Amino acid sequence: MTLRRHSVVPLSRLLAVVGGLIFLASCGGSSSTPITTTPPPSTTNNTVDLSVNLGPTNDYVNGLFASVEVCEPGSTTSCATVANVLVDTGSEGLRLLSGAVSGLTLPAVTDSSGNAVQECIGFISLAYIWGPVVQADIHLGGETAASASVHIISESPQYAVPSSCIPTGPVGTPEDYNSVSALGANGILGVANFPQDCGSGCADTSTAPAQYYSCPSGNCNITAVPTTATKGQVWNPVALFSTDNNGVLINLTSIASGGAATDAGSLIFGIGTQTNNALGSAQVYGVTDQGFFTTTYKGTEYTGSFIDSGSNAYYFLDSGTLGGLDCADNAGWYCPASPLSFTATNTGTNGTTGSVTFTIDNADSLFATSDAAFNDLGGDSGNSPSTDYFDFGVPFFFGRNVFVGIAGQTVTGVSNVPYGFWAY
Amino acid sequence: MKTIARVLLVLALGAAPAWAVLGEYESSVSLDTQFMRGEDRVTSAQGYKFHQITSPTGAVVTEYISPEGKVFGISWRAPVIPNLEKLLGSYITPVQQAAQAQTRRRGGPFIVRASDLVFVSGGHMRGFHGSAYVPSLLPRNVSAEVVR
Repeated sequence: MTLRRHSVVPLSRLLAVVGGLIFLASCGGSSSTPITTTPPPSTTNNTVDLSVNLGPTNDYVNGLFASVEVCEPGSTTSCATVANVLVDTGSEGLRLLSGAVSGLTLPAVTDSSGNAVQECIGFISLAYIWGPVVQADIHLGGETAASASVHIISESPQYAVPSSCIPTGPVGTPEDYNSVSALGANGILGVANFPQDCGSGCADTSTAPAQYYSCPSGNCNITAVPTTATKGQVWNPVALFSTDNNGVLINLTSIASGGAATDAGSLIFGIGTQTNNALGSAQVYGVTDQGFFTTTYKGTEYTGSFIDSGSNAYYFLDSGTLGGLDCADNAGWYCPASPLSFTATNTGTNGTTGSVTFTIDNADSLFATSDAAFNDLGGDSGNSPSTDYFDFGVPFFFGRNVFVGIAGQTVTGVSNVPYGFWAY
Repeated sequence: MKTIARVLLVLALGAAPAWAVLGEYESSVSLDTQFMRGEDRVTSAQGYKFHQITSPTGAVVTEYISPEGKVFGISWRAPVIPNLEKLLGSYITPVQQAAQAQTRRRGGPFIVRASDLVFVSGGHMRGFHGSAYVPSLLPRNVSAEVVR
Protein backbone atom coordinates (compact mmCIF):
# COMPACT_ATOMS: atom_id res chain seq x y z
CA MET A 1 0.00 0.00 0.00
CA THR A 2 2.90 2.34 -0.61
CA LEU A 3 2.71 5.24 -2.99
CA ARG A 4 5.48 4.84 -5.48
CA ARG A 5 6.66 7.36 -8.00
CA HIS A 6 8.96 6.23 -10.75
CA SER A 7 10.15 7.89 -13.91
CA VAL A 8 11.88 4.99 -15.64
CA VAL A 9 9.85 2.85 -18.04
CA PRO A 10 10.19 -0.73 -16.78
CA LEU A 11 12.23 -3.09 -18.94
CA SER A 12 9.22 -5.35 -19.30
CA ARG A 13 7.24 -2.59 -20.95
CA LEU A 14 10.10 -1.85 -23.36
CA LEU A 15 10.20 -5.55 -24.19
CA ALA A 16 6.46 -5.44 -24.86
CA VAL A 17 6.99 -2.68 -27.39
CA VAL A 18 9.86 -4.54 -29.05
CA GLY A 19 7.73 -7.68 -29.17
CA GLY A 20 5.01 -5.73 -30.89
CA LEU A 21 7.43 -4.45 -33.52
CA ILE A 22 8.66 -7.95 -34.26
CA PHE A 23 5.06 -9.06 -34.66
CA LEU A 24 4.31 -6.25 -37.11
CA ALA A 25 7.46 -6.98 -39.13
CA SER A 26 6.54 -10.65 -39.37
CA CYS A 27 3.16 -9.74 -40.83
CA GLY A 28 4.85 -8.24 -43.89
CA GLY A 29 6.06 -11.59 -45.23
CA SER A 30 5.44 -12.91 -48.73
CA SER A 31 1.94 -14.03 -49.72
CA SER A 32 3.10 -17.63 -50.08
CA THR A 33 3.66 -17.93 -46.33
CA PRO A 34 1.05 -20.37 -44.99
CA ILE A 35 -1.46 -18.89 -42.58
CA THR A 36 -1.01 -20.17 -39.08
CA THR A 37 -3.49 -19.83 -36.22
CA THR A 38 -0.78 -19.98 -33.56
CA PRO A 39 -0.15 -16.48 -32.25
CA PRO A 40 3.43 -15.29 -32.02
CA PRO A 41 4.73 -15.83 -28.50
CA SER A 42 4.49 -12.85 -26.21
CA THR A 43 7.67 -11.66 -24.55
CA THR A 44 5.97 -9.54 -21.93
CA ASN A 45 6.74 -10.33 -18.30
CA ASN A 46 3.55 -12.22 -17.53
CA THR A 47 4.22 -13.26 -13.93
CA VAL A 48 3.21 -11.84 -10.55
CA ASP A 49 4.35 -13.35 -7.25
CA LEU A 50 1.74 -14.94 -5.03
CA SER A 51 1.87 -15.49 -1.30
CA VAL A 52 -0.33 -17.46 1.06
CA ASN A 53 -0.12 -15.77 4.43
CA LEU A 54 -2.28 -14.44 7.25
CA GLY A 55 -2.88 -11.17 5.41
CA PRO A 56 -3.01 -7.62 6.75
CA THR A 57 -5.28 -8.58 9.65
CA ASN A 58 -2.97 -11.46 10.64
CA ASP A 59 -5.85 -13.93 10.89
CA TYR A 60 -6.67 -14.96 7.31
CA VAL A 61 -6.31 -18.70 6.82
CA ASN A 62 -5.44 -19.78 3.27
CA GLY A 63 -5.53 -16.22 1.95
CA LEU A 64 -3.92 -15.94 -1.49
CA PHE A 65 -2.39 -12.49 -1.95
CA ALA A 66 -0.55 -10.45 -4.60
CA SER A 67 0.59 -6.86 -5.08
CA VAL A 68 -1.07 -4.75 -7.73
CA GLU A 69 0.15 -1.45 -9.14
CA VAL A 70 -2.43 1.09 -10.28
CA CYS A 71 -1.68 4.43 -11.94
CA GLU A 72 -3.67 7.45 -12.97
CA PRO A 73 -4.66 6.76 -16.61
CA GLY A 74 -1.72 7.40 -18.93
CA SER A 75 0.68 8.19 -16.11
CA THR A 76 3.85 6.28 -15.25
CA THR A 77 4.58 8.38 -12.19
CA SER A 78 1.32 8.86 -10.29
CA CYS A 79 1.02 5.29 -9.17
CA ALA A 80 0.35 3.24 -6.05
CA THR A 81 1.46 -0.30 -5.32
CA VAL A 82 -1.16 -2.06 -3.24
CA ALA A 83 0.04 -5.13 -1.34
CA ASN A 84 -2.13 -7.89 0.10
CA VAL A 85 -4.77 -7.91 -2.63
CA LEU A 86 -6.73 -11.16 -2.53
CA VAL A 87 -6.41 -13.14 -5.77
CA ASP A 88 -9.88 -14.49 -6.52
CA THR A 89 -10.80 -16.96 -9.24
CA GLY A 90 -14.43 -16.61 -8.07
CA SER A 91 -14.99 -13.04 -9.23
CA GLU A 92 -14.13 -10.59 -11.98
CA GLY A 93 -12.42 -7.22 -11.65
CA LEU A 94 -10.09 -5.22 -9.43
CA ARG A 95 -11.57 -3.75 -6.22
CA LEU A 96 -9.38 -1.69 -3.90
CA LEU A 97 -10.01 -0.11 -0.54
CA SER A 98 -10.14 3.65 -0.87
CA GLY A 99 -7.29 4.13 1.60
CA ALA A 100 -4.94 2.13 -0.64
CA VAL A 101 -5.24 4.65 -3.50
CA SER A 102 -6.01 7.82 -1.57
CA GLY A 103 -2.97 9.56 -3.08
CA LEU A 104 -4.21 9.18 -6.64
CA THR A 105 -6.72 11.18 -8.65
CA LEU A 106 -8.72 8.61 -10.58
CA PRO A 107 -11.44 9.83 -12.96
CA ALA A 108 -15.01 8.65 -12.35
CA VAL A 109 -16.79 6.31 -14.75
CA THR A 110 -20.12 7.93 -15.57
CA ASP A 111 -23.42 6.60 -16.86
CA SER A 112 -25.32 7.86 -19.92
CA SER A 113 -26.72 10.76 -17.86
CA GLY A 114 -23.23 11.83 -16.84
CA ASN A 115 -23.60 10.72 -13.23
CA ALA A 116 -20.72 8.96 -11.47
CA VAL A 117 -21.27 5.20 -11.34
CA GLN A 118 -21.24 3.47 -7.94
CA GLU A 119 -21.16 -0.27 -7.43
CA CYS A 120 -22.46 -2.59 -4.75
CA ILE A 121 -21.36 -6.22 -4.58
CA GLY A 122 -23.11 -8.67 -2.29
CA PHE A 123 -21.06 -11.60 -1.02
CA ILE A 124 -22.46 -15.06 -0.38
CA SER A 125 -21.73 -14.36 3.30
CA LEU A 126 -24.37 -11.64 2.81
CA ALA A 127 -21.75 -8.96 3.42
CA TYR A 128 -21.36 -6.21 0.82
CA ILE A 129 -18.84 -3.72 -0.52
CA TRP A 130 -19.82 -0.32 -1.90
CA GLY A 131 -18.18 2.62 -3.63
CA PRO A 132 -17.47 4.42 -6.93
CA VAL A 133 -16.21 2.95 -10.19
CA VAL A 134 -13.15 4.83 -11.47
CA GLN A 135 -10.63 4.53 -14.27
CA ALA A 136 -7.03 3.46 -13.68
CA ASP A 137 -4.16 1.78 -15.49
CA ILE A 138 -3.58 -1.58 -13.83
CA HIS A 139 -0.04 -3.01 -13.98
CA LEU A 140 0.50 -6.68 -13.21
CA GLY A 141 4.05 -7.80 -13.96
CA GLY A 142 4.69 -6.34 -17.41
CA GLU A 143 1.03 -6.49 -18.41
CA THR A 144 -1.20 -3.41 -18.51
CA ALA A 145 -4.97 -2.99 -18.43
CA ALA A 146 -5.20 0.62 -19.61
CA SER A 147 -7.98 2.89 -18.38
CA ALA A 148 -9.69 -0.08 -16.76
CA SER A 149 -12.81 0.33 -14.65
CA VAL A 150 -11.81 -0.29 -11.03
CA HIS A 151 -14.20 -0.56 -8.09
CA ILE A 152 -13.19 1.54 -5.09
CA ILE A 153 -14.37 0.07 -1.78
CA SER A 154 -15.15 3.24 0.15
CA GLU A 155 -13.95 3.38 3.71
CA SER A 156 -15.99 6.58 4.12
CA PRO A 157 -18.65 6.43 1.39
CA GLN A 158 -19.84 9.62 -0.26
CA TYR A 159 -23.35 8.14 -0.51
CA ALA A 160 -25.23 5.86 1.87
CA VAL A 161 -25.36 2.30 0.62
CA PRO A 162 -28.74 1.65 -1.04
CA SER A 163 -30.81 -0.85 0.92
CA SER A 164 -31.76 -2.66 -2.30
CA CYS A 165 -28.24 -4.02 -2.72
CA ILE A 166 -27.79 -5.34 0.80
CA PRO A 167 -28.73 -9.02 0.58
CA THR A 168 -30.25 -9.01 4.06
CA GLY A 169 -32.20 -5.80 3.47
CA PRO A 170 -32.12 -2.51 5.31
CA VAL A 171 -33.25 -3.78 8.70
CA GLY A 172 -30.76 -4.86 11.32
CA THR A 173 -27.08 -4.23 10.94
CA PRO A 174 -25.87 -5.75 7.70
CA GLU A 175 -22.28 -6.79 7.42
CA ASP A 176 -20.12 -4.13 5.88
CA TYR A 177 -16.83 -5.22 4.29
CA ASN A 178 -15.66 -1.68 3.51
CA SER A 179 -12.58 -1.88 5.72
CA VAL A 180 -9.30 -3.79 5.94
CA SER A 181 -10.37 -5.37 9.20
CA ALA A 182 -13.59 -6.80 7.74
CA LEU A 183 -12.30 -7.65 4.26
CA GLY A 184 -9.03 -9.13 5.55
CA ALA A 185 -7.30 -7.71 2.47
CA ASN A 186 -6.57 -4.37 0.80
CA GLY A 187 -8.63 -5.37 -2.20
CA ILE A 188 -9.72 -8.19 -4.48
CA LEU A 189 -8.21 -9.08 -7.86
CA GLY A 190 -10.90 -11.07 -9.66
CA VAL A 191 -9.57 -13.25 -12.46
CA ALA A 192 -12.46 -15.68 -12.99
CA ASN A 193 -14.08 -17.01 -16.18
CA PHE A 194 -15.81 -13.92 -17.53
CA PRO A 195 -14.60 -10.64 -19.04
CA GLN A 196 -16.97 -8.42 -17.01
CA ASP A 197 -18.34 -8.61 -13.48
CA CYS A 198 -21.95 -8.50 -14.66
CA GLY A 199 -22.49 -8.71 -18.43
CA SER A 200 -25.41 -7.74 -20.63
CA GLY A 201 -27.95 -7.83 -17.77
CA CYS A 202 -26.40 -4.69 -16.23
CA ALA A 203 -26.26 -2.86 -19.56
CA ASP A 204 -30.04 -2.48 -19.87
CA THR A 205 -32.14 -0.54 -17.36
CA SER A 206 -35.07 -2.92 -17.80
CA THR A 207 -33.04 -5.89 -16.55
CA ALA A 208 -30.29 -4.37 -14.41
CA PRO A 209 -30.04 -6.04 -11.00
CA ALA A 210 -29.00 -4.27 -7.79
CA GLN A 211 -25.31 -3.86 -8.71
CA TYR A 212 -24.56 -0.56 -10.51
CA TYR A 213 -26.02 2.68 -9.21
CA SER A 214 -25.82 6.40 -9.79
CA CYS A 215 -26.74 9.01 -7.23
CA PRO A 216 -27.99 12.26 -8.77
CA SER A 217 -28.92 14.67 -5.97
CA GLY A 218 -27.71 12.12 -3.43
CA ASN A 219 -30.36 9.49 -4.13
CA CYS A 220 -28.87 6.24 -5.42
CA ASN A 221 -30.79 4.31 -8.05
CA ILE A 222 -29.89 1.33 -10.22
CA THR A 223 -28.32 2.47 -13.49
CA ALA A 224 -27.33 0.77 -16.74
CA VAL A 225 -23.60 0.41 -17.44
CA PRO A 226 -22.33 -0.91 -20.78
CA THR A 227 -20.08 -3.96 -21.18
CA THR A 228 -17.47 -1.90 -23.05
CA ALA A 229 -13.78 -2.38 -22.29
CA THR A 230 -13.39 1.18 -21.04
CA LYS A 231 -15.84 3.53 -19.30
CA GLY A 232 -18.13 0.57 -18.63
CA GLN A 233 -18.51 -2.32 -16.21
CA VAL A 234 -15.64 -3.52 -14.06
CA TRP A 235 -13.60 -5.98 -16.13
CA ASN A 236 -11.41 -8.90 -15.31
CA PRO A 237 -8.18 -6.97 -16.01
CA VAL A 238 -6.60 -9.96 -17.75
CA ALA A 239 -9.15 -9.70 -20.57
CA LEU A 240 -7.99 -6.10 -21.12
CA PHE A 241 -4.30 -6.92 -21.60
CA SER A 242 -2.95 -6.55 -25.14
CA THR A 243 -1.21 -9.94 -24.84
CA ASP A 244 -1.57 -13.00 -22.62
CA ASN A 245 -5.25 -12.11 -22.24
CA ASN A 246 -7.05 -15.44 -22.59
CA GLY A 247 -6.78 -16.55 -18.97
CA VAL A 248 -4.41 -17.21 -16.11
CA LEU A 249 -2.36 -19.98 -14.58
CA ILE A 250 -2.04 -20.21 -10.80
CA ASN A 251 0.85 -22.27 -9.56
CA LEU A 252 1.39 -22.75 -5.81
CA THR A 253 4.23 -24.74 -4.30
CA SER A 254 3.04 -27.96 -2.66
CA ILE A 255 2.97 -28.06 1.13
CA ALA A 256 2.99 -30.87 3.67
CA SER A 257 -0.21 -32.01 5.34
CA GLY A 258 -0.88 -30.45 8.73
CA GLY A 259 -0.04 -26.93 7.60
CA ALA A 260 2.77 -24.63 6.53
CA ALA A 261 3.60 -21.22 7.96
CA THR A 262 3.24 -19.64 4.51
CA ASP A 263 3.43 -20.65 0.87
CA ALA A 264 4.47 -18.99 -2.38
CA GLY A 265 3.69 -19.28 -6.05
CA SER A 266 2.96 -17.43 -9.25
CA LEU A 267 0.04 -15.87 -11.06
CA ILE A 268 0.93 -16.25 -14.74
CA PHE A 269 -1.07 -14.48 -17.43
CA GLY A 270 -2.11 -16.13 -20.67
CA ILE A 271 -2.65 -19.77 -21.56
CA GLY A 272 -0.43 -21.26 -24.25
CA THR A 273 0.95 -17.82 -25.12
CA GLN A 274 4.45 -18.19 -23.68
CA THR A 275 6.79 -20.98 -22.68
CA ASN A 276 5.71 -20.65 -19.02
CA ASN A 277 1.96 -21.12 -19.50
CA ALA A 278 1.48 -24.14 -21.76
CA LEU A 279 -1.49 -26.35 -20.88
CA GLY A 280 0.76 -29.39 -21.05
CA SER A 281 -1.00 -32.41 -19.61
CA ALA A 282 -3.76 -30.36 -17.95
CA GLN A 283 -7.32 -31.49 -18.73
CA VAL A 284 -9.82 -28.82 -19.82
CA TYR A 285 -13.22 -28.66 -18.05
CA GLY A 286 -15.76 -26.32 -19.67
CA VAL A 287 -18.14 -24.35 -17.42
CA THR A 288 -21.78 -23.26 -17.71
CA ASP A 289 -22.96 -19.70 -18.37
CA GLN A 290 -22.76 -19.17 -14.59
CA GLY A 291 -19.27 -20.66 -14.28
CA PHE A 292 -20.06 -24.14 -12.94
CA PHE A 293 -19.13 -27.75 -13.69
CA THR A 294 -20.48 -30.99 -12.22
CA THR A 295 -18.89 -32.96 -9.39
CA THR A 296 -20.06 -36.52 -8.79
CA TYR A 297 -19.57 -38.05 -5.36
CA LYS A 298 -20.87 -41.52 -4.45
CA GLY A 299 -23.29 -41.47 -7.36
CA THR A 300 -24.82 -38.05 -6.67
CA GLU A 301 -24.24 -35.19 -9.10
CA TYR A 302 -23.49 -31.73 -7.68
CA THR A 303 -24.10 -29.46 -10.67
CA GLY A 304 -23.01 -26.10 -9.24
CA SER A 305 -19.37 -26.94 -8.52
CA PHE A 306 -16.44 -24.61 -9.02
CA ILE A 307 -12.80 -23.92 -8.18
CA ASP A 308 -12.27 -20.75 -6.17
CA SER A 309 -9.04 -19.26 -4.86
CA GLY A 310 -11.26 -16.83 -2.94
CA SER A 311 -12.61 -19.71 -0.84
CA ASN A 312 -10.18 -20.70 1.88
CA ALA A 313 -11.07 -24.40 2.14
CA TYR A 314 -12.72 -27.35 0.46
CA TYR A 315 -16.42 -26.66 1.09
CA PHE A 316 -18.52 -29.73 0.31
CA LEU A 317 -21.36 -31.88 1.62
CA ASP A 318 -22.20 -31.57 5.31
CA SER A 319 -21.39 -33.20 8.60
CA GLY A 320 -24.63 -35.20 8.66
CA THR A 321 -23.98 -36.76 5.26
CA LEU A 322 -20.41 -37.56 6.25
CA GLY A 323 -21.37 -39.24 9.50
CA GLY A 324 -20.64 -36.49 12.01
CA LEU A 325 -17.46 -34.51 11.42
CA ASP A 326 -18.41 -31.45 13.46
CA CYS A 327 -15.62 -29.70 15.33
CA ALA A 328 -15.72 -29.16 19.08
CA ASP A 329 -14.42 -25.61 18.80
CA ASN A 330 -14.86 -24.31 15.26
CA ALA A 331 -18.40 -24.40 13.92
CA GLY A 332 -18.78 -25.03 10.20
CA TRP A 333 -15.48 -26.90 9.86
CA TYR A 334 -14.68 -30.59 9.62
CA CYS A 335 -12.81 -32.36 12.41
CA PRO A 336 -12.22 -36.02 11.61
CA ALA A 337 -10.38 -38.01 14.30
CA SER A 338 -7.72 -38.85 11.72
CA PRO A 339 -7.17 -37.53 8.18
CA LEU A 340 -9.93 -38.63 5.79
CA SER A 341 -9.47 -39.10 2.05
CA PHE A 342 -12.19 -38.23 -0.47
CA THR A 343 -12.41 -39.00 -4.17
CA ALA A 344 -14.87 -37.21 -6.44
CA THR A 345 -15.24 -36.96 -10.21
CA ASN A 346 -15.42 -33.67 -12.07
CA THR A 347 -17.17 -33.38 -15.44
CA GLY A 348 -16.94 -30.31 -17.66
CA THR A 349 -19.61 -29.06 -20.06
CA ASN A 350 -17.31 -30.26 -22.85
CA GLY A 351 -17.50 -33.84 -21.57
CA THR A 352 -14.07 -34.02 -19.94
CA THR A 353 -14.13 -36.26 -16.87
CA GLY A 354 -11.47 -36.82 -14.24
CA SER A 355 -11.21 -37.81 -10.60
CA VAL A 356 -9.96 -35.61 -7.78
CA THR A 357 -8.64 -36.95 -4.49
CA PHE A 358 -8.13 -34.77 -1.45
CA THR A 359 -7.66 -35.16 2.28
CA ILE A 360 -9.41 -33.44 5.17
CA ASP A 361 -7.75 -33.12 8.55
CA ASN A 362 -8.99 -31.87 11.91
CA ALA A 363 -9.66 -28.12 11.69
CA ASP A 364 -9.46 -27.61 15.45
CA SER A 365 -5.92 -29.05 15.39
CA LEU A 366 -4.95 -27.12 12.26
CA PHE A 367 -6.15 -23.83 13.72
CA ALA A 368 -4.19 -24.51 16.92
CA THR A 369 -1.02 -23.95 14.89
CA SER A 370 -0.12 -20.42 13.82
CA ASP A 371 0.16 -21.58 10.19
CA ALA A 372 -1.47 -19.75 7.30
CA ALA A 373 -1.47 -22.48 4.63
CA PHE A 374 -3.40 -25.76 4.86
CA ASN A 375 -3.95 -28.28 2.06
CA ASP A 376 -6.33 -30.38 4.15
CA LEU A 377 -8.86 -27.87 5.49
CA GLY A 378 -12.54 -28.52 4.87
CA GLY A 379 -15.97 -27.30 5.88
CA ASP A 380 -19.60 -27.92 5.04
CA SER A 381 -21.41 -26.46 2.08
CA GLY A 382 -24.95 -26.44 3.23
CA ASN A 383 -28.11 -28.01 4.43
CA SER A 384 -28.33 -31.74 4.41
CA PRO A 385 -29.21 -33.26 2.08
CA SER A 386 -29.74 -30.65 -0.60
CA THR A 387 -26.26 -29.21 -1.08
CA ASP A 388 -25.65 -28.89 -4.76
CA TYR A 389 -21.95 -28.19 -5.13
CA PHE A 390 -18.35 -28.79 -4.24
CA ASP A 391 -16.29 -25.62 -3.79
CA PHE A 392 -12.65 -26.43 -4.47
CA GLY A 393 -10.92 -23.63 -2.60
CA VAL A 394 -7.28 -22.69 -1.97
CA PRO A 395 -6.24 -26.18 -0.70
CA PHE A 396 -6.93 -27.49 -4.21
CA PHE A 397 -4.27 -25.15 -5.64
CA PHE A 398 -1.26 -26.32 -3.62
CA GLY A 399 1.14 -28.29 -5.80
CA ARG A 400 -1.03 -27.95 -8.91
CA ASN A 401 -1.08 -25.96 -12.11
CA VAL A 402 -4.61 -24.55 -12.27
CA PHE A 403 -5.68 -22.66 -15.39
CA VAL A 404 -8.70 -20.34 -15.66
CA GLY A 405 -9.86 -19.81 -19.26
CA ILE A 406 -11.83 -16.63 -19.97
CA ALA A 407 -15.13 -16.90 -21.88
CA GLY A 408 -14.95 -15.84 -25.50
CA GLN A 409 -11.14 -15.87 -25.70
CA THR A 410 -9.14 -18.24 -27.88
CA VAL A 411 -6.78 -20.81 -26.44
CA THR A 412 -4.81 -22.88 -28.94
CA GLY A 413 -6.05 -26.45 -28.96
CA VAL A 414 -9.16 -25.75 -26.85
CA SER A 415 -12.68 -25.67 -28.31
CA ASN A 416 -16.31 -26.12 -27.32
CA VAL A 417 -16.04 -24.06 -24.12
CA PRO A 418 -18.16 -20.94 -24.86
CA TYR A 419 -18.22 -19.81 -21.21
CA GLY A 420 -14.59 -20.47 -20.45
CA PHE A 421 -13.00 -23.34 -18.59
CA TRP A 422 -10.86 -24.72 -15.81
CA ALA A 423 -7.83 -26.84 -16.59
CA TYR A 424 -5.62 -28.76 -14.19
CA MET B 1 -45.19 3.35 -30.55
CA LYS B 2 -43.14 4.90 -27.80
CA THR B 3 -46.27 5.53 -25.74
CA ILE B 4 -47.40 1.96 -26.16
CA ALA B 5 -44.02 0.71 -25.01
CA ARG B 6 -44.25 2.88 -21.90
CA VAL B 7 -47.76 1.69 -21.12
CA LEU B 8 -46.63 -1.91 -21.46
CA LEU B 9 -43.71 -1.29 -19.15
CA VAL B 10 -45.96 0.20 -16.49
CA LEU B 11 -48.34 -2.72 -16.79
CA ALA B 12 -45.48 -5.15 -16.48
CA LEU B 13 -44.17 -3.42 -13.36
CA GLY B 14 -47.63 -3.17 -11.86
CA ALA B 15 -48.26 -6.80 -12.59
CA ALA B 16 -44.98 -8.07 -11.17
CA PRO B 17 -45.49 -11.75 -10.48
CA ALA B 18 -47.38 -12.50 -7.32
CA TRP B 19 -44.81 -13.79 -4.93
CA ALA B 20 -45.07 -14.82 -1.35
CA VAL B 21 -42.78 -14.72 1.64
CA LEU B 22 -41.29 -17.76 3.37
CA GLY B 23 -43.68 -19.05 6.02
CA GLU B 24 -46.60 -16.96 4.76
CA TYR B 25 -49.57 -17.80 2.58
CA GLU B 26 -49.29 -17.49 -1.17
CA SER B 27 -49.98 -13.78 -1.47
CA SER B 28 -48.65 -10.88 -3.46
CA VAL B 29 -45.16 -9.60 -2.77
CA SER B 30 -42.99 -8.35 -5.60
CA LEU B 31 -39.37 -9.31 -5.98
CA ASP B 32 -36.45 -7.01 -6.63
CA THR B 33 -35.90 -5.56 -10.07
CA GLN B 34 -33.93 -8.40 -11.54
CA PHE B 35 -37.14 -10.41 -11.53
CA MET B 36 -39.35 -7.71 -13.06
CA ARG B 37 -40.85 -8.93 -16.31
CA GLY B 38 -40.01 -12.45 -15.31
CA GLU B 39 -41.89 -15.51 -16.40
CA ASP B 40 -43.82 -17.45 -13.75
CA ARG B 41 -44.39 -21.16 -14.18
CA VAL B 42 -46.31 -23.32 -11.72
CA THR B 43 -45.59 -27.04 -11.46
CA SER B 44 -47.44 -29.63 -9.38
CA ALA B 45 -45.47 -32.32 -7.63
CA GLN B 46 -46.26 -35.14 -5.20
CA GLY B 47 -47.53 -33.43 -2.05
CA TYR B 48 -46.61 -29.83 -2.97
CA LYS B 49 -46.32 -27.41 -5.87
CA PHE B 50 -43.73 -24.87 -6.88
CA HIS B 51 -43.63 -21.54 -8.67
CA GLN B 52 -40.56 -20.91 -10.74
CA ILE B 53 -39.92 -17.37 -11.92
CA THR B 54 -37.24 -16.76 -14.53
CA SER B 55 -35.99 -13.25 -15.28
CA PRO B 56 -35.05 -12.15 -18.82
CA THR B 57 -31.38 -12.46 -17.84
CA GLY B 58 -31.65 -15.99 -16.52
CA ALA B 59 -32.08 -15.43 -12.79
CA VAL B 60 -34.37 -18.05 -11.28
CA VAL B 61 -36.26 -18.06 -7.97
CA THR B 62 -38.34 -21.08 -7.01
CA GLU B 63 -40.98 -21.02 -4.29
CA TYR B 64 -42.32 -24.22 -2.75
CA ILE B 65 -45.97 -24.26 -1.61
CA SER B 66 -47.58 -26.76 0.74
CA PRO B 67 -51.11 -28.14 0.18
CA GLU B 68 -52.26 -25.63 2.86
CA GLY B 69 -50.96 -22.82 0.62
CA LYS B 70 -47.97 -21.87 2.75
CA VAL B 71 -44.49 -21.23 1.43
CA PHE B 72 -42.25 -23.85 3.05
CA GLY B 73 -39.13 -23.24 0.99
CA ILE B 74 -37.42 -20.97 -1.52
CA SER B 75 -34.35 -21.28 -3.70
CA TRP B 76 -32.48 -19.06 -6.13
CA ARG B 77 -29.90 -19.18 -8.91
CA ALA B 78 -29.06 -15.69 -10.05
CA PRO B 79 -26.22 -13.41 -11.21
CA VAL B 80 -26.84 -11.18 -8.16
CA ILE B 81 -28.11 -12.34 -4.74
CA PRO B 82 -31.84 -11.55 -4.65
CA ASN B 83 -33.20 -9.33 -1.92
CA LEU B 84 -33.48 -11.90 0.84
CA GLU B 85 -35.49 -9.67 3.12
CA LYS B 86 -38.32 -9.83 0.59
CA LEU B 87 -37.99 -13.57 0.18
CA LEU B 88 -37.48 -14.55 3.81
CA GLY B 89 -39.81 -12.13 5.61
CA SER B 90 -39.54 -12.62 9.36
CA TYR B 91 -37.05 -15.45 8.84
CA ILE B 92 -34.45 -12.85 7.89
CA THR B 93 -33.72 -12.21 11.60
CA PRO B 94 -31.74 -15.40 12.37
CA VAL B 95 -29.94 -14.96 9.04
CA GLN B 96 -28.91 -11.42 9.96
CA GLN B 97 -27.77 -12.55 13.37
CA ALA B 98 -25.67 -15.36 11.91
CA ALA B 99 -24.19 -13.00 9.32
CA GLN B 100 -22.63 -11.02 12.15
CA ALA B 101 -21.02 -14.05 13.73
CA GLN B 102 -18.97 -15.59 10.92
CA THR B 103 -15.42 -16.57 11.69
CA ARG B 104 -12.51 -17.87 9.65
CA ARG B 105 -14.71 -19.23 6.87
CA ARG B 106 -13.82 -16.97 3.95
CA GLY B 107 -15.47 -17.08 0.55
CA GLY B 108 -17.18 -20.35 1.34
CA PRO B 109 -20.91 -20.91 1.59
CA PHE B 110 -22.85 -19.22 4.36
CA ILE B 111 -25.07 -21.57 6.33
CA VAL B 112 -27.64 -20.94 9.04
CA ARG B 113 -29.26 -23.70 11.06
CA ALA B 114 -31.69 -21.92 13.37
CA SER B 115 -34.45 -23.50 15.45
CA ASP B 116 -36.93 -23.49 12.56
CA LEU B 117 -34.93 -22.39 9.55
CA VAL B 118 -32.25 -23.98 7.40
CA PHE B 119 -30.56 -21.48 5.10
CA VAL B 120 -27.61 -21.68 2.71
CA SER B 121 -26.09 -19.06 0.41
CA GLY B 122 -23.38 -20.14 -2.01
CA GLY B 123 -21.82 -19.84 -5.45
CA HIS B 124 -19.70 -16.99 -6.76
CA MET B 125 -19.93 -13.74 -8.72
CA ARG B 126 -22.34 -14.06 -11.68
CA GLY B 127 -23.57 -17.36 -10.28
CA PHE B 128 -25.12 -17.12 -6.83
CA HIS B 129 -27.30 -19.89 -5.53
CA GLY B 130 -28.97 -20.75 -2.30
CA SER B 131 -32.05 -22.01 -0.52
CA ALA B 132 -34.05 -21.74 2.67
CA TYR B 133 -36.74 -23.89 4.19
CA VAL B 134 -38.82 -24.09 7.36
CA PRO B 135 -38.67 -27.67 8.74
CA SER B 136 -41.97 -27.36 10.63
CA LEU B 137 -43.79 -26.37 7.44
CA LEU B 138 -42.57 -29.28 5.32
CA PRO B 139 -45.66 -31.07 3.99
CA ARG B 140 -46.22 -34.63 5.10
CA ASN B 141 -44.05 -37.09 3.16
CA VAL B 142 -42.10 -34.31 1.42
CA SER B 143 -38.33 -34.27 1.90
CA ALA B 144 -36.39 -31.06 2.47
CA GLU B 145 -34.33 -32.21 -0.50
CA VAL B 146 -36.99 -30.91 -2.90
CA VAL B 147 -35.94 -27.35 -2.02
CA ARG B 148 -32.98 -26.88 -4.34
